[in-house]
Amino acid sequence: MFESETAPTYHLETVEDNQFVLNLGPQHPGTHGVLRVVLHMDGEYILTADPVLGYGHRMQEKIAETMTYTQVLPYMARMDYLGALSYNQAWVCLIEKMCGLEVPRRAEYIRVLCVELNRIASHFLWFGAFLLDLGAFTPFLHAFADREKILDLLESVTGSRLTHCYFRFGGVGADVDDDFFAGAQAFVDHMRQHLPTYHSLVTGNVIFQERTKDVGVILPFETWGYGLSGPVLRGSGKQYDVRRSEPYSIYPELDFKIPVEQSGDCLARYLVRLREIEESLNIIEQAVAGMPDGPVRSKVPKIIKPPEGEAAMAVETPRGELMIYLVSDGTKVPYRVKYRVPSFANLSIFSHLARGQLLADVLAILGSLDMVIPEVDR
Amino acid sequence: MNLIETALDVLDIGVDRFDYTAGGLHAQAWVRPEQLRPACRALYSLGFFLETVTAVDLIAGEIMQGVYLFNHYEQNMRCKIILETERINPVFPSIGAIYPGAVWHERETGEFFGITYENSRDSRCLLLPEETTFHPLRKDFKPQGQPVDTP
Repeated sequence: MFESETAPTYHLETVEDNQFVLNLGPQHPGTHGVLRVVLHMDGEYILTADPVLGYGHRMQEKIAETMTYTQVLPYMARMDYLGALSYNQAWVCLIEKMCGLEVPRRAEYIRVLCVELNRIASHFLWFGAFLLDLGAFTPFLHAFADREKILDLLESVTGSRLTHCYFRFGGVGADVDDDFFAGAQAFVDHMRQHLPTYHSLVTGNVIFQERTKDVGVILPFETWGYGLSGPVLRGSGKQYDVRRSEPYSIYPELDFKIPVEQSGDCLARYLVRLREIEESLNIIEQAVAGMPDGPVRSKVPKIIKPPEGEAAMAVETPRGELMIYLVSDGTKVPYRVKYRVPSFANLSIFSHLARGQLLADVLAILGSLDMVIPEVDR
Repeated sequence: MNLIETALDVLDIGVDRFDYTAGGLHAQAWVRPEQLRPACRALYSLGFFLETVTAVDLIAGEIMQGVYLFNHYEQNMRCKIILETERINPVFPSIGAIYPGAVWHERETGEFFGITYENSRDSRCLLLPEETTFHPLRKDFKPQGQPVDTP
């Protein structure tokens, strides 16, 4: 079914009378980051959509080959700046797995607590931006007011509001105090009261339902060909979450559900993310309640030298499965690092979804895929 | 017999099992270039999803290694399909007609390593500028002193 599709070409002389080429981005206010999409249109309908990537490309994989394992760590947060702590976690877990380093239990709990706060913050930003795409301004203000509370909390432990670099090999950078736990618990209580406002403001809104229902449907049998993951996949009825399927850290001990929707449209992906916020609140509450005492960092060698060989480590970021594939030659510099980023795979289905759709619906589809362009471009 | 062995058994491709807890990989299978598409077709039909298509430049042995990583939604089963060719003008078959998501991965790997993917429906540069002539992830590429016109 896919063999007939060929690379789209845009020669103006081949464009027929009622057709035209529309350039969406990289500065179009309706797009996120610096994504450019070349749309071949027939009136209001899309004939082909061709994303043009690379405006935020920094060759992260080559950078990693020129640095020691410790020096690579801060670069992780520069890929997905909205889910920076998930990227931190993937890199430290990978090196800990290869070198056989111990992690104290308190450090694991702090990691999970921070990662889940980060996940909620990322979903809030998506929520605001997605609804801005659809023309709703008020939800954006609600989401950013709540996101601000998380950023304040994370700033107090990581020292930065964006691009956090807090995790270390064998633990975390510094211990947290009781104010942080009290703040996290207060945030959970606040969100439990405030989340119904999100639903009454947006989910039940007729215009929102009309704009997202049955738009951009991803059928279950299309998912694995494109390697989808995260909420984009779970909106199409596949219950796949790395935290459950490939358990790492303390996730097996925690009680949380994996939200799944069956319809595969923009509304399904929206509902999955909102329900994920609720589940992350549950995880935060459990992590605060079960927080053990003890050290937050174990003794690790000054120079990290993983043994010769290869390893893969996957974590669930707010956007889906991040997998790092590492080939080590036994020196203190990685031989080859491959970042398998979720946004890249999730965006690759976009031109398939956009074909035959209206221009306004394409903006809804782009928003519902929730990609971070610096992560796609690396 | 695990799911990978079930998929690759009819094609007579041997599967090496790995210690999952040590390296995060369940198994790997070495294939010849003409076996790659049948192997991917078998994995696709059993619902394996494509994690990534990448390559490793083994400059010491003058070998370019193509690496294909797959996993499964229903059960945790990460497997690596691996094939090798010479480093000079490496050519691999494209699997974009089987896994449509592989087209972007192949465009990226192609421009980074100078690999040609045969019968690919789209072989333009993806992340680098269109007229790029260098391949940054090849081990003989020097990061300094390569001026390039940015668009």
